[in-house]
This record gives sequence, structure tokens and C-alpha cells, in this order.
Amino acid sequence: MSTGKELTRWLDDLLTEIEGIKVRRQSSKRLRVDIEPDALPALLALLRGRASYVHLSAISCVDWPNEEQFELVYHLWSYEMQSLVSTHTRIPREPGVYLSVYDIYPPAAFYERDIHEFYGIRFEGSPDLSKFILTEWDGPPPMRKDFDSEAWVHDHFDWQDYNPEWLRQLIAEGGGIAIRADEQRFSHHDDGRDQPAASQREPERDRQSPNTPEQPS
Amino acid sequence: MAEVDSKIDYQDKGSILAPLKALQFFGRQPVTAPLDPRPASANYRGFHLNDWETCIGCSTCQKVCDNAAITMVEVPGLPHDPEQGVRNLRPAIDYGRCCWCALCVDLCPTGSIALSREYVHTCKDAELDSYFILPDDKGIHGVAYDIGWGKHAESDLIAPERVAMQELSPQARADNFDEIVAGYDPNQAIIEASRCVQCGMCLDACPTHMNAPEYIRAIWQGDNEEAVRQIYRTNPFSNTCGRVCTHRCETACSIGHRGEPVAIRWLKRYAMDAVSTERIKAIVAESRPSFLSGKRVAIVGAGPAGLTTAFDLAKQGHEVVVYEAMPAAGGMTRYGIPYYRLPSDMLDRDVEIIESLGVRIQYNTRVGQDISMEQLRDEFDAVMLAVGLWIGRSTGVKGSDSSQVYRAVDLLREVADGQAIKVPKQAVVIGGGNVAMDIARTLGRLQRQHFGQIDVTMTALEDLAHFLADPDEIKEAGEEGIRILPARGPQEIVQEQGLVSGLRTWGVTSIFDDQGRFAPRYDERDEQIYPADMVIEAIGQRADVDLLGADLTEALEWNRGRLKVDDDFRTSAEWLWAAGDMVQGPDVVTAVANGHRVAASINSYLSIREQVS
Amino acid sequence: MRPENYEAQRHPPSHEYELNIGPNHPGIEGNYAFKLRLHGDQVIEGRADAGYLHRGFEKLMEGRLWIQNLAITPRICVPDPVPMEVSYCLAVEDLCGLRVPERAQYLRVLQLELSRFASHLFCFGGHAATVGMYSPSFWGIADRDLILDLFEELCGGRVYHIYNIPGGVRRDMPPGFIERVSNTLDYLETRLPDYDDLLFRNRVFVTRARGIGAMNQQQALDWGVTGSNLRATGLPFDVRRDDPYLVYDQLDFDIPTEDGGDAWARALVRRKELFESIRILRQVLERLPDIPGPIRCPIPNPLAWNVPAGSTYTRVESSKGELAWYVVSDGGERPYRTHVRGPSQMHAVQVLERLAVGSRIEDVAQIMFSLDACPPEVDR
Repeated sequence: MSTGKELTRWLDDLLTEIEGIKVRRQSSKRLRVDIEPDALPALLALLRGRASYVHLSAISCVDWPNEEQFELVYHLWSYEMQSLVSTHTRIPREPGVYLSVYDIYPPAAFYERDIHEFYGIRFEGSPDLSKFILTEWDGPPPMRKDFDSEAWVHDHFDWQDYNPEWLRQLIAEGGGIAIRADEQRFSHHDDGRDQPAASQREPERDRQSPNTPEQPS
Repeated sequence: MAEVDSKIDYQDKGSILAPLKALQFFGRQPVTAPLDPRPASANYRGFHLNDWETCIGCSTCQKVCDNAAITMVEVPGLPHDPEQGVRNLRPAIDYGRCCWCALCVDLCPTGSIALSREYVHTCKDAELDSYFILPDDKGIHGVAYDIGWGKHAESDLIAPERVAMQELSPQARADNFDEIVAGYDPNQAIIEASRCVQCGMCLDACPTHMNAPEYIRAIWQGDNEEAVRQIYRTNPFSNTCGRVCTHRCETACSIGHRGEPVAIRWLKRYAMDAVSTERIKAIVAESRPSFLSGKRVAIVGAGPAGLTTAFDLAKQGHEVVVYEAMPAAGGMTRYGIPYYRLPSDMLDRDVEIIESLGVRIQYNTRVGQDISMEQLRDEFDAVMLAVGLWIGRSTGVKGSDSSQVYRAVDLLREVADGQAIKVPKQAVVIGGGNVAMDIARTLGRLQRQHFGQIDVTMTALEDLAHFLADPDEIKEAGEEGIRILPARGPQEIVQEQGLVSGLRTWGVTSIFDDQGRFAPRYDERDEQIYPADMVIEAIGQRADVDLLGADLTEALEWNRGRLKVDDDFRTSAEWLWAAGDMVQGPDVVTAVANGHRVAASINSYLSIREQVS
Repeated sequence: MRPENYEAQRHPPSHEYELNIGPNHPGIEGNYAFKLRLHGDQVIEGRADAGYLHRGFEKLMEGRLWIQNLAITPRICVPDPVPMEVSYCLAVEDLCGLRVPERAQYLRVLQLELSRFASHLFCFGGHAATVGMYSPSFWGIADRDLILDLFEELCGGRVYHIYNIPGGVRRDMPPGFIERVSNTLDYLETRLPDYDDLLFRNRVFVTRARGIGAMNQQQALDWGVTGSNLRATGLPFDVRRDDPYLVYDQLDFDIPTEDGGDAWARALVRRKELFESIRILRQVLERLPDIPGPIRCPIPNPLAWNVPAGSTYTRVESSKGELAWYVVSDGGERPYRTHVRGPSQMHAVQVLERLAVGSRIEDVAQIMFSLDACPPEVDR
């Protein structure tokens, strides 16, 4: 029975057999592999067949709109070698098509369906790419970076209208809502830079209920 | 410990008495369903409580709330004092959005907001307003439950300690004028800038409302040029202020309520040091005007107030000429503040950047001597006076007219001008303010340079707790070997054979009378004489307004010895403004704030003149 | 009708019908729909239908600061929220290079094992209820309540603890807490024989559960089964042993397995894991008083916290299986991508669909509960 160190070295050597691959070992149990999309299925078959990586833990997708690419990461775990290999590959954002690895790893079906639903990537050969979670959604794939879920919520839902007694009394005394709840969040709408500090704003005497949405500035 | 084996003999029918085992449950306590309301645990995260006395309305809770559940509400009648960093805003919580994560509690700078042990609230649809509450110390239903998850040292996410600033030790600085404060390095600056919670109290408290939250954020992001850009929105004197400002911002800082305030002044200095003068000129040039108005403005005095006005007016396209009596610009910042607090080459940078906008400074030109006010009135469209407070007051006690009795401002001016002054072997300084500290510490250094030892005594009317000088100055002066004697009142400057030999003082029993007027009372039995061959008076300053000339002095309105100005710092003559120390001093950043005001006023005046004529 | 207009209608065979179970159904764990195609009482095909618990956490997390996400991580898996919090914190700590103090690591193990225990009690209750035995579910909820009381004391919240923070935990144990945990463990230990009598040695349960939803080792590995379900096929794989995190490599515990891979084996494995959890907890309680120190390493101001760019894949063993997070940071103050790999993403979908085929309608619910398939993890 080989020791852990020998196995990892064997694995590192094995991987150098493949062309166009970049290997970086992050720790004894984590290996990162970057590979061209064309070569990925062969790598997966190799890892499953020869290197005992029988467990596909997950397929993750990351959207890089600035680079016009989707990054697909296949996380493989070997029970024998007790280490994880994450294979990263990048596909062009348009047309967003890739091969399915269902024939190598049956669990891929779920992840490919999930990624298809949320990112819009088509996996050729996947057994079922029908909608699963968002069955009544007809908008764009929502996990893409260009879909602003918060703006969608603002467009489709209203803030709750509150008008409690204490607020009415304060307004009568000359006070009222000074800073609305969504004005100073460190949300993705403002990164704190262009936002004037709280005091520079004129205190808003909101005579109506609080939280009524104004046009987002 | 009963183990279960998969080879369990489930064919075993068991004994006939097996069902009787169930009887044991009659004797058992049920697990849940108490009849009385169930009290929550000691650190339960229930509904909010807020101690309005401790809350300062900084709205940091609102910033960290991830669900946008907190609304800041203005409550009239609560204290609202920007200089102390207190606002009359209080958080209101929307329980339709709150998830009770208690991040607001952990990040509250003052520790006023807490989550109580109350957790039950029901209402009908029609009563949904009850979900939006303004918590005080009595909680959502007015029944004061105990605090559950409150401010605790373990979960506190505020960093109370400031990044320590490296300074020269007393031994290293005692005999030279090297700058004491070393400044932050980039790592320290980023860490210190990260302590800021962006509440904006500093902005409120600053006389010129510097965009401190913005430049602190820019420093944290590593973008020093953006920081400089934000700084120059309100303060063209930031190499100076970054070293010597009276930092009202830090007094108001919300972190400073329980910990040490963010080092806003040192961060400003860091940003200004980190960017080269050439780059800053380029950044400032972004606001160069695209046209010239053809109007001319004269400014008397190239100090902070005058140069700030010059800077603003130049950006608005007016031609500005600054008349400065001394050989170099800066006013009191050069000729009053010693080199070890503000190296003059740093001040030179500020001046250079202002000049790069096209401001012309004429040095060694004394208005009232080389050119008269009437000439300025005729040749320029508007005139601003910013001559500062350059005449030192005297106690007037017997012997104070001797030639070895000096005013602190005169000595400081000569030292800054590079002139050699007579260094006394024993000096006594009368006064306990910052200027007194400056002269005392300057003389101390000179004494060490000349004689190898220090002998400086400071006396002031106030007791140590009420000294007018900065606590830092008092501490550093003590470290440098200056003898500080509080609560002493000067009575006579003793002379022997025409030479000053000492200062006779009595103990002070009180300084102000019942109505708060200045009327010091002494204990004559407590008399002490301090030997000295030089006595320096640093008890206050007044403006030198002789430059106005007799006619103009007659024509203008005065208010108890000072020029009367309106809210825009305009005198009773419509072409003349006056600002800075001479009106509202002494303080550098206040002078800068005044300068902006004056520039805005002059600019609108000139625009109106354009339309009318 | 003219002959040329005749169109043959495709009727389904008249002995097949569709039955939709869920999303609100006592036979479904959580809110989840399972569409069955039945021939009489035999299941021919099953299709899972998720989405009733989709709250969009992965997208939400991209829009919030790193520390603000702590409030929503426990909500991803409701019965067993602690592994979610802990794995998120482990991921952030990995990216930032934070070293969690030892005391905090033990406190995390304490939470994790208590949560595992509570989750298993929940699961048994459900499993028993699917075969018509309701007492174990009442007992399970009641005993779980005692554990929730402990959580309330430690964390300030019963179900959504929001107690872990990158760098450690937020508060230390209250005084006397170790004793109270110990007393509760004593009580729970005395309850285990009761559960055995009521459920695990109960002939009705054994008969009902044996042979249901059986899979062999090869199938389990092919289908991506993890956790107790995998151990029930005989493979002693556990993330705490194979990919250790926190202080599990210093604790003494066994990995129980069963052969058979059916619902009975899975129930037994969980029952044994209860015992192992108590064992781990006893060791933690014994060691905690002797481990002084901070419960959190210094962390930056949450409003000014940039996590260095990088990506990490953190795996923990939740009560349901292998829980993993893939977290990507672009060097900013918000996550760039957080991907939650819940164990039920395999169990509740493909495994359930495959195992349901050929079973009888009354066993479908049992299969789902025996897999401990938790829909909030599927939907996120």
C-alpha cells in the first residue's frame, strides 16, 4: 500500500502525461488542474479509470463576463488516494456549449442540469436538461453576472408600507425618516465610494410611509 | 451503553411483560410544553433594545445590516452636536426583514444597541405596522426584558486600538528640530483606514467638512490619488492640516466613543505624503477653469485663509494676487508653528500646489507700507484681509516693558525666518496654550544646542487639567524636560541692574468670577520667584490692523476691537472681506473653512457685478 | 368521421397513472414534489420536482459582504444548519489564511456533533412516521428540543445559530455549560435503549425497512452517494476521517458501516452514528476546560474586509453526507461565487428516482426519508 506522499507524487507524474495541462498542488489533499476544454473529458476518463477518482463531488460554474468566459470546475475525489482534484476549464460565453460528462460520471447529470438552468450552458449529451428548480421562470439565466436580481425584485415587488403611530407622532413633531433602509447598504449598487456620507444628505422628511421606493439614483 | 447490532434477533418475540415497560413514562417529565412563558437563554437574540443615552445616531448598524432592516429616524429633542459626534437619529427596525443575526450589536461603536430576551410577538394582518418599531430601552412591547445578546468583548467587531504612530523619543528629539511624528507606512495606513465605519461624524464636525470618510476609504482601497482628490475638495492646506490640525474629526469619531478614534489626521498626512507633488498638481489641475472671468482679487496675507480663498477663486477663473509681507508664504503655519511639528518644506508643497493654479504671491510686500489699501481698492474688484494675529499681547505687569521680555510670536517668527535669536540660559514662559508650548519647546531645543542643558519654566493661570494646550503637547513638553507650573499668576518681572532676573508669581485661587468673567484671584501668601534671564509672554494675540490706514479704520465697523463681519465674512465695506485668525482664530482648519466661505461670497459678488455692469 | 381524418390517439396504458406527491406532504421530507408513474401500486418511474424552497442563496451571497453572508448560510439546510456555517467559515478562512484558535475549533466540533445528533433524531422520526409509527417522531422532536435548548444557550438562537464567524466563533460558552451538555448527553444516552426498543428492535420496522431502496457499493459509488447512505453499503468513508478538518484528526471515533445498502441498513448506520457522536462530544467536553484562549483570531472590520483572490473547495461531513462549498473570491469585499454542494443534490434527485423504480407506493416515502434527502440543500 503506497503512502500518501507516494500516491500524490504518482498522481502528479501521471498528469504530466497529458498535453496542455497546468497542474498546481495546493496542499496534500488539494490539487488544481487547468486544462483546455477539448482535453477535459479525456482527463476525466483518465482520472476515473487509472487514478481511482470515482467520485464527482460537484461541477461548479463561474461566470467571468469581463473575459467573456464561463469557468467550469469539476471536483473529483478519490476514496483511495483521499485527495481532491479540481479541474478548471474555460469555455467561451457565447455560445456557451460544452460536452456532457455523464457517460463518465453519472452524477454529472444533476449538475449539468443545474448549470444549464442557472447559466444557460448547454451540455451536449446530457440526459435531461429540462428545468428543475425554476420551472416557472422565463427570464434570463439568473446566476449570470449580467442579471441583476435585486433590480428585478424592485421592479416586481413593493416595499412593505408601514405607518405606525410613533412615526406619525415624530413627523408631527418635526422629525421623521432621515435615512431610508436601503440608502447606506454596502450592497452591490454602491461600493461606498460615490455615496456621500450620511450627514451630507438633507434629512428627508418623509411624510408618507417609510420604505416607499424612490427611483434608484 | 446499549449497542445495536445488525444481527439483531428480530425474530425474538420478547417477553409478555414487555408492554409494561411503557408505564415508566408516567414518571417522566415531558420535554416541552410549559404552561408559563418560557424564558430565553442569557444571550438570546430577541427583539432589539437601544439605549438612547448612549446611542449617537452614527448609523453603523444600518450599514452592516444585510437585509436593509434598519431605518434611521430623526427624533427632535435629542442632543444633536456634530462637534461631539452625536446625532439625533435613532435606528428603527423592520421585523419583516430583520433576521436577528446581531451583527448590528457587534458592530455598534458605542454598544448602545442590543438584542433582548423577548421573542414573542403576534399580530393580525391589520396590525402589521407593529412590525416596524423604534426600539428604546423598553423594548417592542414596552416591557423591559433583560438584554440577551449585547455588546461583549468576545463578539465585538470594532477595533478599539489605533495603529501606533512612530515618534521620535524624547532623547532623540530634545536638541534638534527634526519632525517628531514619523508618519504611517502603507501597511499601517491601510490597517488604520480599515477601522473606519464610514459614519460621517468627522465630516460633520470638521469646520470645513472635509470628505474624510471618502478619503479614508480611498486609502483603504490603496488608491492614494483618489484620496488626494477627495482631500482637495475641501482643503488645499492638507500637508499642513495633516500634521497640525486640531482634529475635531477625531473628537467626534464614533469609534472614539469607546476606543481610540480613527487617526484621521495621520491618514490625511499619509495620503498627501504618498503622492508626489507633481501628481497632486496634475490632480488639482483637473479643476482648472476653462475660461477666465477677467476679474481681479487682491488678498492680503498668504496664510491658510488667504491661500484657500486664492485657490478657490483661481479655480473659478478669477485672477488672484496675494500680498505677503514676509519672505515666504504660510502665515502662522510657517512663522508660528515650529519645524518639529510642521516642517516648512511640507508647507512649501501646499503653497506650490496652490501657486500651480496660477495664483500669484508677491512676497516681501507689506500692505499699508509698500502699497496702500486704497490702491488695492482701486486696482482690484475685491479685496480680502487675512493678516492673522501677529501681535502678541502683554501681561502689562511691572517690568514687562524690558527689552529681555519678549512676546512668543515674535521669537517664533524670528526662529522660523532663520534668524539667530539670543538663547537664554534660563527662560520663563508665561502662558499655557499651544503657542506657549511652541516657544517653550523651541527654546528648550536651542538651549540644549547652545548650553547642553535645558532650563525652561512654564507658568499659567490654569491648573493642569484646564490647560489650553493640547494634552499631547503638555505630555511631550514634560518629556523634553520643560518644567510646567500650573495655577501661577505673574505679578512682576524682577529686574536687577536693568537686566531681567526672574518672574514673581502668586498662586491662583480662581480665574473666573461668578458671572464667568475673567477676574483672577490670587493667594498672596503663596509667592514664588523663578529665576530667568528671559521672560516670554504667550498669553494671546491680536491682529495688526494698522495697515488699514486711518481713513479706512474710521469708515469700517468694529466689534470690540475686531473687524465686524457678516456671515460671509464681509466687512461693512462692500469690496472688503476679512477672515481667518483675525476674525475667528486661532485655528488653521477654521481659517481654511473661512477661506472657502469668502471665496464663495466674492465669487457671487463678482458675478453679480458682471451682470449689473 | 371520415377514415382519412382519423388520428390515432396515444393513450397511456390504462393501468398506469400518475401520482404527484408533495410539495406539502407528510411523506416528503421538506417541501419537494415527487411525480410518480405507477402501475397499480408499483412505481415504474419517478421524477423529482424541486424549486419550492429556492431562495436564491448563491446569488444573494454575491451581493453581500463576506460577513453578512453568515446570517444566511444556516438557512440553506434547515435541519442541520451548523455544517453550512462551519464550511462557509472554513472556506473564508482558507482564502484569508486565518488560523482558528484551538478552543474555537473544539467549540465548532461541539456544535457540529450536537447538530448531527439533532438531525438524526429528526430523520428517525420521519422515517418511522413513513411506516406509520408516530411515537418515534414525537420522541425525536422532543429530545431534539433539548439539544436546541443547548444551542440557544450557546449561540443565542435555537435553529439558526449564526454563531460561527470566519476566524472562530462569536461567543464563548456560558458558565456551567459543559455540565449542562453532559447532563443532556447522559439523558440522551438513556434514551437510546428506548429508541432501540421502540424502533430498531421493533419487528414491524425491521420488516418494513429491510430490502427497501437497496443499492450495492458499485451503484452507490456510481451515483455519487455519500455519507451514511454510502456507509450503509459497507464503505467506511467519512469526510471527518478522509479529509479531516477542525480537530477531528485528534478525536477518537469509529466509522460505523452496514452491509445491505437498504433502508434498514441506513437507519442502523445513523443509529450507530448517534453513539459515535456522543463519544466525540464526551471527548470534547473533557478537553474544553483545559484549552484556554481566544475564541476567535483577530479579523478586520467587517465593513472593510477584502478577501484575497483565489478559490477553495471545502468539504465537511454533515449528517446527510458530504457537504462542500466552492468559494471564489476576486479580491473584493463580496464573494464572487459561492457554490453549495449539498449531499441531497444527489440523494434527493437521481438516487431517489432510481431507487423508487420497482418499489411499492407505500415505500416511496420511506426511501426518501431513509436517504435523509433534504430539499433545502437541493434548491438553495
